[in-house]
Amino acid sequence: MRGCKKNLAFLSLIFCSFCFSPAGAQVPNPFPTPSPTPSPTPLATSNGPMSSLKKMSLEELMNLDVTSVSKQPEPFGQAPAAINVITNDAIRRSGASSIPEALRLADNLEVAKASSSGWDITARGFNTGLANKLLVLMDGRTLYSPLDSGVFWNVQDYLLEDIDRIEVVSGPGGTLWGANAVNGVINITSKDAKDTQGAYVEGGGGTQPQDFGGIRYGGKLDADVYYRFYGKYFDGANEVLVDGSNAGDPWRMGQGGFRIDDEGDSQNHFTLQGDIYDSAVSSTAGDGESAGGNVLGRWSHNISADSDLSLQLYYDHTYFNAPKTQAHLGPFVSAPAGVFADSLETYDLDFQHHFHWDGANNFIWGLGCRITHDLVTPAPSLTFQPTLLDQGLFSFFAQDEFELGNDLFLTAGSKVEHNDYTGYEFEPSGRLKWNLAEAQMVWAAVSRAVRMPSRIDHDLEEPTPNLVPFGIKELLIGGSDFESETVVTYELGYRAQLAKEFSTSISTFFNNYSDIRSTSSTPSGPLGLLPLYFQNNLEAQTGGVEWTVDYQVLEGWRMHAGYDLLQENVWVKPGQTDLNNALNETADPKNQVFVRSSMDLPGDLELDPAFRWVDSLTYNYNAGVPGVVPSYAELDLRLAWHPIKDIEISVTGQNLLHDYHLEYAAGGPFEEIQRSVYGKLACRF
Amino acid sequence: MGLLLPILLTAGAPLRAEAPVSKEYQVKAVFLFNFAQFVQWPPKSFTSAGDPFYIGILGEDPFDAFLDETVKGEKVDGHPLVIRRYGNVEEATGCQILFISRSEAGRMADILSSLKGRNILTVADSGNFIENGGVVYFVTEGKKIHFKISLEAAKQAKLTISSQVLRLAQIAGPGKE
Repeated sequence: MRGCKKNLAFLSLIFCSFCFSPAGAQVPNPFPTPSPTPSPTPLATSNGPMSSLKKMSLEELMNLDVTSVSKQPEPFGQAPAAINVITNDAIRRSGASSIPEALRLADNLEVAKASSSGWDITARGFNTGLANKLLVLMDGRTLYSPLDSGVFWNVQDYLLEDIDRIEVVSGPGGTLWGANAVNGVINITSKDAKDTQGAYVEGGGGTQPQDFGGIRYGGKLDADVYYRFYGKYFDGANEVLVDGSNAGDPWRMGQGGFRIDDEGDSQNHFTLQGDIYDSAVSSTAGDGESAGGNVLGRWSHNISADSDLSLQLYYDHTYFNAPKTQAHLGPFVSAPAGVFADSLETYDLDFQHHFHWDGANNFIWGLGCRITHDLVTPAPSLTFQPTLLDQGLFSFFAQDEFELGNDLFLTAGSKVEHNDYTGYEFEPSGRLKWNLAEAQMVWAAVSRAVRMPSRIDHDLEEPTPNLVPFGIKELLIGGSDFESETVVTYELGYRAQLAKEFSTSISTFFNNYSDIRSTSSTPSGPLGLLPLYFQNNLEAQTGGVEWTVDYQVLEGWRMHAGYDLLQENVWVKPGQTDLNNALNETADPKNQVFVRSSMDLPGDLELDPAFRWVDSLTYNYNAGVPGVVPSYAELDLRLAWHPIKDIEISVTGQNLLHDYHLEYAAGGPFEEIQRSVYGKLACRF
Repeated sequence: MGLLLPILLTAGAPLRAEAPVSKEYQVKAVFLFNFAQFVQWPPKSFTSAGDPFYIGILGEDPFDAFLDETVKGEKVDGHPLVIRRYGNVEEATGCQILFISRSEAGRMADILSSLKGRNILTVADSGNFIENGGVVYFVTEGKKIHFKISLEAAKQAKLTISSQVLRLAQIAGPGKE
């Protein structure tokens, strides 16, 4: 809901800003994506594989991936990329009650809460409206919407207890993942059904969320066939307007699902899983609903010790409707109120094959095919043309990793993708990894990635039915010749386990963007302006640093710090125009600081404070006139007690430093995020 | 697509180029070390308080030095952990934990029958092990190492296995599979 609400908010913003300045040209900035961040959180601290393995519990040992050719306990420690891994334990100890909240644990993301159900999340900048340069996957299922390339975070939920990990890569991932992996990739992985056996129940409430409950049961269908099913719901409280008054936007959601894993032999692994959800959110415009479901099957097959393949097929259906208030052009009502709805069906098939070859090459290739069937139900002020659109996305990729010399490895490959708007797109990358000493690595990469057009870029229409007698048919439309946005990224990073207790990672990047979305006017049209339409008239360069440090102070006490720097420079191509003065695509903090502590106290207590400071961000207030969201500092604090092993009682306070604070602004009215406290009881049996 | 990341991320060569043992056996070695702590042997298994606690490897050693490093300086109830390597089963009768290597997979029935009645936690990852009276069997499921435990075989060897281990195991046995 949040998503659709946000989406619509964006659209109405475009409209609203226009009505604020009828003579002026303003155009909103449709989608953002942003943020800089630093990196890795070691899964286990150690100066060698043995010492880290020995510290692990039996459960942790059983959860290690051991099939990799790598001989390190922390596989991600070797990845030549800017990657953060959020573990199940880190999510639990953070007190996060939703996936977007858990993403605050990834230092290499910008996470801004815009309303009770609305989130704006990106990596390395471009966080306006709906960030559109991020690829998000849940168990292999793509979550971004082809409607606007954004993710409706309000309907991406799961029983957090059953999430195994969230991998967050900042920087392009187009070579392996393809379209939309421009600024980053978020990969959410749920636990194998084998690892969620038995019953789990949680419940609680407070000021935000007001009340919630979840239940999971896992069992065996056969000797090596495991299943689980789960259900959860929550009631989210409203947030407040800038003056502290109730924003009237409570939301609630229920979700249920299952997962079956057949691990009958070491050669084959079958997974079948599915979820359904329903969500309702209110706003001043009225009530809206989101609902959907998905089912996914995957077959992984080990051909030999050096070769494996996987085949995955899924179906996903998402639906949302959202009220639209009447639209205005200056003092005139341009369109009556109504309801906008979107129904999207996705069929996706993925195949990949990975093998070692010739002793020195680690090769992976794959094929993908995605068919979408999107049906829009227009509101008087908002539609997409055509309202019904079937699209196909076909892709092929290949990548090889090989040793160039002593301790020096090169990974090179490309994806080739064909979409209905722009045809073939190429997304090559080369990555160099140098193991310069024991547990120290330097890496460098050059990559190209593409954001292909989404329906909003190409098919959007904001009709003005009431103004047709005056010759005005639309305010804003998509660009029929809208092209893909592209980036070429240069990265350099260093990661090290400098001592048993101390690890650090630093990633730097320079991005060169072409053909970023802009808004143009029609001088020959009504008012010398209308309709406004999308073009690719912007270019941009961004650069930044993402730095993390992890320090095990004592046996049961761990500290983490992260810092991000992001410099953005966006300009209009010479000889071209943008009604938003190149302001609409970015709303990003230049600096972010994170400090977290995770402490085990006597008496089976856990204490986890998390501090963050987020710099001010500049957004497109109106037609290229900037607005500013001030910088803020906030503190979350969680205290948990385990009276017996399988029971956990916790209290989590979030955003404790202020009664309410603003994190994000686009469209309006702006909402601020309140201090909140909730309690939770979780039992396992 | 979700599978790509782990593959990508793990595709590289190790930072520690010298690490000689596959991760699979590193993890199995640490499991053996854990079993020593989570299983109780009958008191008569040791003649005196300072007797070594022997972890034996029968057949080809897949652990290299990793198992030795893992238990170095470690004790279980005051018994220092010591690794022994055996060429045939007759030599192995005095150990507390015996890992039976893949090289012996074809002789599993003979090996286990000659250990019958001994207070030995037998462990293997190959052959018809559980069916022939072995106690702990490693299975690689997906990309992870899990284990099956035969309660009947543990009982015959008079071993008490902690519930912390049992609740993670698949319970199996000659009668069950």
